[in-house]
Amino acid sequence: MAKVVVITSGKGGVGKTTSCASIGTALAMQGHRTVLIDFDVGLRNLDLVMGCERRVVYDLINITTGEAKLSQALIRDKRVDNLYMLPASQTRDKDALTFEGIELVINELKQEFDFILCDSPAGIERGAVMAMYFADEAIVVTNPEVSSVRDSDRIIGLLDSKTRRAEQGESVRTCLLVTRYDPERVEHADMMSVQDIEEILAIPLSGVIPESQAVLRASNQGIPVVHDSESDAGQAYMDMAARFLGEDRPMRFIDFERKGLFSRMFGGRR
Amino acid sequence: MKRLRSFFQKEACPSADVACERLKIMINQDRMQRNQPEFLPRLQSELIEVIRRYTQSDQGDIQISYHNLPQRTQIELNVSWPATRS
Repeated sequence: MAKVVVITSGKGGVGKTTSCASIGTALAMQGHRTVLIDFDVGLRNLDLVMGCERRVVYDLINITTGEAKLSQALIRDKRVDNLYMLPASQTRDKDALTFEGIELVINELKQEFDFILCDSPAGIERGAVMAMYFADEAIVVTNPEVSSVRDSDRIIGLLDSKTRRAEQGESVRTCLLVTRYDPERVEHADMMSVQDIEEILAIPLSGVIPESQAVLRASNQGIPVVHDSESDAGQAYMDMAARFLGEDRPMRFIDFERKGLFSRMFGGRR
Repeated sequence: MKRLRSFFQKEACPSADVACERLKIMINQDRMQRNQPEFLPRLQSELIEVIRRYTQSDQGDIQISYHNLPQRTQIELNVSWPATRS
């Protein structure tokens, strides 16, 4: 049975698209047929992060209006088998998306795929509600920062009330992904810890991605950071995907490792 | 270790702790508002208007709080006004 998963946050710039690209890639690497849908109409970016921006011909709205068939709009990933993406429209008005149109697209995708990952736009308005409406599960992306945590709480409130599952009296299984985590600043009590965030938001933690140079490097190149298996962020996304699939893995990269004098002088940057 | 460090640092309170405290208060408020019915603000202002017609209460003397109990929903109304000496 196909699972619809929304990646959402409320606040913008916390790493929804980066996370969607990497988690989707990791799921496909494990052999699961996965499709990523960009819901950010007018500000599409998932294709850029996935590195397939030059292969976009049709988009989500073209399918809902019948201008293109689903198979024409789906872009097959060049690096991983089983991975496809459906771009958002860059030019159309965001009101061009309708719940009915999306339902048709998702139902059709459910025939072909194991996981349908919906990359939500920022905000708490119609676009974000549309991205989460058909979700079975949600990954709430949060930075260890006050405005991001507060916005995440509002999104959790929407997941509990504005989704189809909520309307039917069921719940959307929701988990927390903390990104841009800096254990050194947590150690110095200048950043909230994952335990703090988990306690405030009261949803289970399923991953922590450390602040890492590798993330920007990866998006510069249009290669999801999970491909960079040497990097801490890449490994953290691999762990996250494994946990998402039910595996029990300990959290890594959440403790500050004090560097010795030698590595501080010669270690360079990770 | 954290405590020890903050003891030696000049800041009175580590900023992460301040963030946590502020968030807990804000989010509690957000959640309360989220669970309130839409008519509540109107009901509140009408109740205040009626009560002040009969008493010398200030706005601050009238407190209305909203509670979700397991079985029922409750509105608690506390009214006071300055004692009048005869």
